[in-house]
Amino acid sequence: MSRHLRRYAPELLLVALTVAAALWSSTLSPFFLNPDNLLNSAQFYVMFALMAFGLFPVVVQGEIDISLASTLAVGSVLFALLSVSDVPFLLALPLVLAATAVLGAVNGVLVAYLGLPSLAVTLGTLGAYRGLAYLLAGDAGVVGITPDYLWLGTQRFGGVPASVWLALAVAAAFAGLMGGTSFGRYSYAIGNNAEAARMAAVPVTHIRIGAYALAGAMAGLAGLVWVALYQSARGDNADGAILVVLTAVVLGGVSIKGGSGRALGVLLATLLLGTIQTGMQLANVPGTSQRLVIGALLIGSIGLPRALQLIRQRLDAPIAPSQTDGGVLVKGSTP
Amino acid sequence: MRRTRHSHRLTGTITIMAVLSLVLAACGGDAADDDAATDTTETTQEAEAGDEPEATEEDELDGDTDDGAAETEADASAADLKIFMAPKFTGLAYFEVAREGGEQAAEEIGFEFQYIGSDRAETTEQIATLTNAVPQAPDALVVSAIDGDAVAPALRQARENGIAVVTYDADAAVDARDLFVNQLSYELAAETMLDAALLNSPEGGLVAFISASPTAPNHTAHVRIMKELIDSDSRYSSLSYIDTVQFAGDDATRSQEIALNLIQANEDLKVIISSSAVSAPAAQQAIVNAGMSGEVYATGVALPSSVREFIQDGHSEAFMMWDPAELGYIATVAAYQLATGQITAEEGQMIDAGEAGTYEVLADGEVQYNKPLMFTAENIDDFDF
Repeated sequence: MSRHLRRYAPELLLVALTVAAALWSSTLSPFFLNPDNLLNSAQFYVMFALMAFGLFPVVVQGEIDISLASTLAVGSVLFALLSVSDVPFLLALPLVLAATAVLGAVNGVLVAYLGLPSLAVTLGTLGAYRGLAYLLAGDAGVVGITPDYLWLGTQRFGGVPASVWLALAVAAAFAGLMGGTSFGRYSYAIGNNAEAARMAAVPVTHIRIGAYALAGAMAGLAGLVWVALYQSARGDNADGAILVVLTAVVLGGVSIKGGSGRALGVLLATLLLGTIQTGMQLANVPGTSQRLVIGALLIGSIGLPRALQLIRQRLDAPIAPSQTDGGVLVKGSTP
Repeated sequence: MRRTRHSHRLTGTITIMAVLSLVLAACGGDAADDDAATDTTETTQEAEAGDEPEATEEDELDGDTDDGAAETEADASAADLKIFMAPKFTGLAYFEVAREGGEQAAEEIGFEFQYIGSDRAETTEQIATLTNAVPQAPDALVVSAIDGDAVAPALRQARENGIAVVTYDADAAVDARDLFVNQLSYELAAETMLDAALLNSPEGGLVAFISASPTAPNHTAHVRIMKELIDSDSRYSSLSYIDTVQFAGDDATRSQEIALNLIQANEDLKVIISSSAVSAPAAQQAIVNAGMSGEVYATGVALPSSVREFIQDGHSEAFMMWDPAELGYIATVAAYQLATGQITAEEGQMIDAGEAGTYEVLADGEVQYNKPLMFTAENIDDFDF
């Protein structure tokens, strides 16, 4: 029991924070607990969640991808263009996901084959893919999306919007992928020590490209959510969203140095961010104060456990620190 | 030993919770203070009440919900009426001046006015703002849309909930709002900017354009019409233009870089024109910095306060704009009249905005404010925004 508590300490902290944030939000605004509003707001965070899950394996491998919001724009514009060209949705879906996976794979090839730094590579493609989206969309953007592309935004199952179910399904899929497949095991191994993984016959290059391609496809799926929710697409779709995505991944306990983190944490972190931001927006808290709160939350959730851990190490000096948990709380605690 | 370590961890978690709730509580306080410092309307009283026991504020807001939900119809008395203004983003001087117009309308007529939104010019932020405005049941929303199509579903939802929607400055999809108060018809804006260019460079010459982004519909239309006028109208035949439009994203630093590059790449460049109130003054600053004053000029849309020194020091002859405060005033008055049922946004109806004038509702619910202001050395001191 205590072992489980410890193993999931970062996630438990997120749950506690979310509950605290929800309580706080409900005192900030009497409208927060309105179920319709909660579901509408949840829908709004789906595309951030999808991109965060896509980014998650990349970060576990010790890399980064900041081009995902631009990839989303290419995806949303492609979906919109195919829709107004009367291409059936079931044909468009694999086409667009494949196209955005290729965009992701380009990042992967540049990083894994050529050994270029991932921040520089994806900073470049952040601009390039954004430009591509503008070129495809034209000046006015695309409107008049056909209904078969909109079901994610209009359908509800059991009262819950289809897009929210999609996010939950994707969360489960990524939990399975990272927790129960060789792709997941290899990803953690690469993140902990890429050279050692290579020596142990892990196909490092392919796994890396795979992670980037997957991230691209997830951004493409997020593009579909954009089109379904907002019934339009433009070159500037989701510009700036990567900050929220990165915050969700890091807040979710995925170490930015690679090697640790779980899908559950990413899901809970998105939930926490959504809860706090929705509460503050309902109370019309000025934008600058909202950013201050999110910043404080991020620093707090990463910094405080680390600070407490350092204090504990002082107190428990004679005891060798445990290395069993993978979460941020103990990562890097070797003296 | 294990138990000790576990209890440490538990203490740790509790400490984190405590510290974070303190941080959050402190920030909540700040937020209320911000409001209190800047507002003069009823909002102030509410925000101040927020620092006192919470029950007071909640009761007040609860009261508002009931009213808002039950009687958005004509019989809602002015005192209970609540109007939200959502600019593209907060903190830009232009929108802050427009906000003052909205606040003035609220004070004169006597309704609650709130200024809402993110400080980032991102569509996702604006959609979140608008989505979360709907459950608060304002009687009307006054919105400047970043992406008029992407915010449309949120605005349609607002209208389904009986909230009147007025756009100002930048329009949304026609079926997503009741009225659009257009500051200046695209044609008039284009003509005024070219007139300003000729005031700067009476002998004409080569013109370059800087816009915010390819997706800013008003900027795109301005540039297209200016090009057409230069091609076809004899008044502007002394001008010629660089076909490629540069995009600076309403960012001052990028605008300066682009202006500098334009000057260096085109020896015969005479005028840089921008519809962006950020880019036009920034381009003039780049010209001054490069020591090219008097050889190249920047003009276009600018707040008088941002170009006063350029005009007074003789670096530039003319910039143009309209009165954003009056625009915000008219849009808010129109929103009030829609919310109280005095008008229904039908074509041909008149909006009486008192001293600000009377405006007719045109096709597709468009209202044209159409009062361009040209700022020159003679009149620049008359404007205080």
